[in-house]
Amino acid sequence: MLLYSILFPIISILAILWFVYRYMKQKQSLITVILWTVLWMFVILFSIFPKASERFASLFGITRGLDFIIIAVFLVLFYIIFGLFNKIDILNDEINKIVKEVAINNEISLDDEEDE
Amino acid sequence: MEYELTSEDRNATFVVLPAYNEATRIQPVIESIADKGYNMVIVNDGSSDNTLDVILDSKRKYPDKIHVYSLMINRGVGIATQTGFDAVLKYDPKYVVSMDSDGQHSADDLDNVITPLVTGQAHAVIGVRPLKDMPFTRNFANAIMNLLTRIFYGVNVSDSQTGFRAITQDALKKIKINARGYLISSEFIREVNDKNIPFAEVPIQTIYTPETQAKGTNVKEALKILIQMIKHQF
Repeated sequence: MLLYSILFPIISILAILWFVYRYMKQKQSLITVILWTVLWMFVILFSIFPKASERFASLFGITRGLDFIIIAVFLVLFYIIFGLFNKIDILNDEINKIVKEVAINNEISLDDEEDE
Repeated sequence: MEYELTSEDRNATFVVLPAYNEATRIQPVIESIADKGYNMVIVNDGSSDNTLDVILDSKRKYPDKIHVYSLMINRGVGIATQTGFDAVLKYDPKYVVSMDSDGQHSADDLDNVITPLVTGQAHAVIGVRPLKDMPFTRNFANAIMNLLTRIFYGVNVSDSQTGFRAITQDALKKIKINARGYLISSEFIREVNDKNIPFAEVPIQTIYTPETQAKGTNVKEALKILIQMIKHQF
């Protein structure tokens, strides 16, 4: 048995447990936990049975199993980056709103400066 | 016959000045505006230098003319101007102008941009910079931005990236600005056009120095604005 076929399933199981823990603490939605669990299950599957990737590859018209895994990883990474980009954008908008409101409600007078 | 602005007209006008790290340049700008009898709302955009202290020094000289607000962190010219536009409504101005605080714009042009609003010829005005005085890279970026403003927002203007603009209070309440950075210039024009606000272009002078050239819409900023314009389509 190759090292990766032991290491990757261990990492995957820890990752799944981590997502379940976050779900229990209400830090993660159920749908996110399910999606990530499915993804890590695939990692376990392909680590223990590498030939299985060829089956999935042929479903999408890809000849090599490894190519399928690389493409799938790229898609997942792209999705994560897109999600993070969106989250940062929303956070930026919220920060802008707060910073604006705080400024508008606190006109700076000369007395404020002299008090300091 | 040309209309002569009265001191009441100037007193009913508030100039919004967004300022980011302008400690060495902003004082003459503020004082030239105050000397002309205009009021100001100055927004310190989280400057890391002593811009706020310089603004407050000027406020000591003209306490009734200057209102100061400060963003706790730097958020960009769009947010600083939005803050100024929101804050200025507290003072019930008839006319609102926004201009750059780096000395690129001259206070002498304030009368020119306000006049069409006072006479009722227009409810929004943009100050158009002379293209011949513009450095090549700025001129090129500006030409691209004019084209993009035309494509994405359907408005044809001579200078879509000018920071010198004036608007009546009623018109200001109708428009909605969301831009964080330099997109604010194109967005202002789009909003004025979308809300059918009568609009005019007025020629202004521009004072270019190495410092003023370092800011504003260059090719890199133009690319950023393009991405934001595409994003706003969805």
